[in-house]
Amino acid sequence: MRFPFRLMIFILLTVWCAGIFLEWFINFDSHLLFGLPFLQKTYSLVCHQERAKLLLFDHGGTLTCARCTGTYLGLLFSSLFFVFQNSWKKPHIKFLFLAATPMILDVILYSLNIYHYSKPIAFITGFLLGSVGFLYLYEGLNNLILELKN
Amino acid sequence: MSSLVCGFGAGVLQIVPLLRSFSCCFILPFASFISLLLNQRATKSTSRITTKNALLFGLVTGLYAALFGSFLEIFITFITKQNDIISTFPELQRMINNFPVGPEIKNEVLTLFQRVREDILSTGFSVLYTFSVLVNNFMVNSIFGAVGGLIGAQIINSRINTTKNEF
Repeated sequence: MRFPFRLMIFILLTVWCAGIFLEWFINFDSHLLFGLPFLQKTYSLVCHQERAKLLLFDHGGTLTCARCTGTYLGLLFSSLFFVFQNSWKKPHIKFLFLAATPMILDVILYSLNIYHYSKPIAFITGFLLGSVGFLYLYEGLNNLILELKN
Repeated sequence: MSSLVCGFGAGVLQIVPLLRSFSCCFILPFASFISLLLNQRATKSTSRITTKNALLFGLVTGLYAALFGSFLEIFITFITKQNDIISTFPELQRMINNFPVGPEIKNEVLTLFQRVREDILSTGFSVLYTFSVLVNNFMVNSIFGAVGGLIGAQIINSRINTTKNEF
């Protein structure tokens, strides 16, 4: 995949992730407050937005829960890596399921009250899935570009 | 056809209060995956799915889900004159008042949403609300549907490879 495409993916993911932290950005530009209810609705499509599970900071919190924030930041992290690194050996699909296992286990274990919900654990398991998941998304986009070229 | 069926299913699930939160991370990608699988079964194809087809199937499934999901959400709001804007308005008011911004901006934002709320309570329809539902659903659903198609094709293709290797 050419550099401009890789950069575009990174920029799009940066914009998406910046939206998650909109309440924090309102401290710098109060006009962003107009966009808050709309973005809350947008992110409600991708996350339950349960108040107790959001990452909180002064005068607000993230628009997605700790796990979803971790997932999207994981995608962003991997996309940043791929801006500078193009060649990558295609991973087997089982690694995607392997990366999802800690997240699934975490959901099962805290749902069974074996331990209490932990934002850091949710964030890390989400981040792991997001950063590994990007490899498959990248592979798919790479294949698409190759197919379109042929 | 498989995209229409799966898109309709995803669109309906998208308006169920608890399930809607999982619409993008689970329901839509899964709908795209099922749509690809159903198409493989219907055409009795055992060949690999091209990425172009996978993207197209995912995109169309997402668009159908957005179409049905938006229609149902707007229709239910019209009939019941109730929706999440109405139910979460007091919370939104409290939240906006807590932000460290000037009172003029706070008033403008609250007036804007008060107008949306009044429109919905009186007629069941608000142009701004309808516009936000349509833009959100069509943008988010098509992206997550396409992502589901791309990843779904890799799962199906890896299974096809394994089956071929066994023979």
